[in-house]
Amino acid sequence: MLILLFSYHLKVFLEQSVRELLRRYRFLLLAVALLLATVILYSYNLRQKTATTFFERAVITFASPFLHSVDHVVDFANGTWNDYLWLVNTRQRNLILTQENQKLRAQLQQVKEISLQNVRLRKLLAFVDDLDLPALPAQVIGEDASNWARTIIIDKGTDAGLVNGLPVVAAQGVVGRIIKIAPNSSRVLLITDASSAVAALIQRTRTRGVARGRGDDLSIEYALRNADINVGDLLVTSGMGGIFPKGLPLGRIKLVKTDQFGLFQQVQATPTVDFSHLEEVMVIVGENP
Amino acid sequence: MRGFFLFMFGGFFFALLQSGVLPLFLPPDWRPNLILILILYLGLSENLLRALVAGLLLGAIQDSFCGPSLGLYVSVYLIVVLATRLVSEQLNVESPPLLLLVIAGGTLLQNLLVGFYLTVFAEAAPVLHILIPAIPKQLLANMFSAALLLFLLLRFQRMLGYRPGLAGLIYQSKSHGT
Repeated sequence: MLILLFSYHLKVFLEQSVRELLRRYRFLLLAVALLLATVILYSYNLRQKTATTFFERAVITFASPFLHSVDHVVDFANGTWNDYLWLVNTRQRNLILTQENQKLRAQLQQVKEISLQNVRLRKLLAFVDDLDLPALPAQVIGEDASNWARTIIIDKGTDAGLVNGLPVVAAQGVVGRIIKIAPNSSRVLLITDASSAVAALIQRTRTRGVARGRGDDLSIEYALRNADINVGDLLVTSGMGGIFPKGLPLGRIKLVKTDQFGLFQQVQATPTVDFSHLEEVMVIVGENP
Repeated sequence: MRGFFLFMFGGFFFALLQSGVLPLFLPPDWRPNLILILILYLGLSENLLRALVAGLLLGAIQDSFCGPSLGLYVSVYLIVVLATRLVSEQLNVESPPLLLLVIAGGTLLQNLLVGFYLTVFAEAAPVLHILIPAIPKQLLANMFSAALLLFLLLRFQRMLGYRPGLAGLIYQSKSHGT
């Protein structure tokens, strides 16, 4: 009888204690549970690198028209500024200029812009022609929203037949590969991103290595310490990774350092593509030979 | 609820600004993280539950606009919201300079967490070469942007009518501390 009474009181006491603990630390428990859930979500998504989640697709799809609009507004503002506003002072200084003259200048400016774009596209086409692979031109409409990741957004997606993992190039060399895709836009991981690694080789000596992004430049990992590498050598894709075709320019060697000990040299390269002025790119849609 | 959607809209607008407009004028290191400023504001002015939910969603929006994996900023912003709430209960965050100090602390914490997550979970240690040298510029950019946003908020609030407290930033919210 006594034991039963004791166990009943113990049970009541424990229930009250647990309830009190849960009440007192409910925010802490909620925070820990949420933190664990987010870490699990992040770890899960790390394993699904090439998969675009429904949330991401929805956000990218929703953002795409806005980014297109921003691009058009910026183009318009640039056009207005270049074609009209900066001429205001000139017109004040020189009264001879007429409205017709302004229009002609504006047209000339437009023609110049089109001609420059034409030159860039010709270079791009010539580069892709050399590859002998089908490619799709695309415009850069956005960049990464953080300061540490290096990605860009292009204006082509699944509607244009693109899929995850396709390589993206510019006239000067490799840009990166598609990692997230939506119907009308895609996100491209640049070769300068810290999570990007491309199988590479030195064109002159065929020394192999892995080009890893460092933000603004590339570091060449696993280049053996006795390998012949000089500053100025051209770094190209080796075609080993299965994503990029062989022989595409990646960068030029800018630093070679051999420590007293260690198996490998420290090698750094400057990308051949100027990512700060990237406007048009080509997505290689054909099979990697 | 209207306030919640306003935060979401603000976050989406900031993400578009960071992705589509700021890159036209600023190099990566000098681009402010406007969503982080919004997150810190949330942590200071909103009730915990709303701040947590909004923080998670804003993190997901930022993840959709940067980096290769969803979940990084979701987790980082969750910790930032909790840390901000912890700090807001200890300090007099009604003072504008102290508020800017909170922004500085938030920026450092965010960089620390992003570096930790990317190094430990994603094995992207080279990201530290990008993150660490950029911290001073990020601090300046974020503090300048926060000061600018604070100034605009003050002007905007005066237009709507004066409310007590630091620009009505904290303790003016009916639901703060609940």
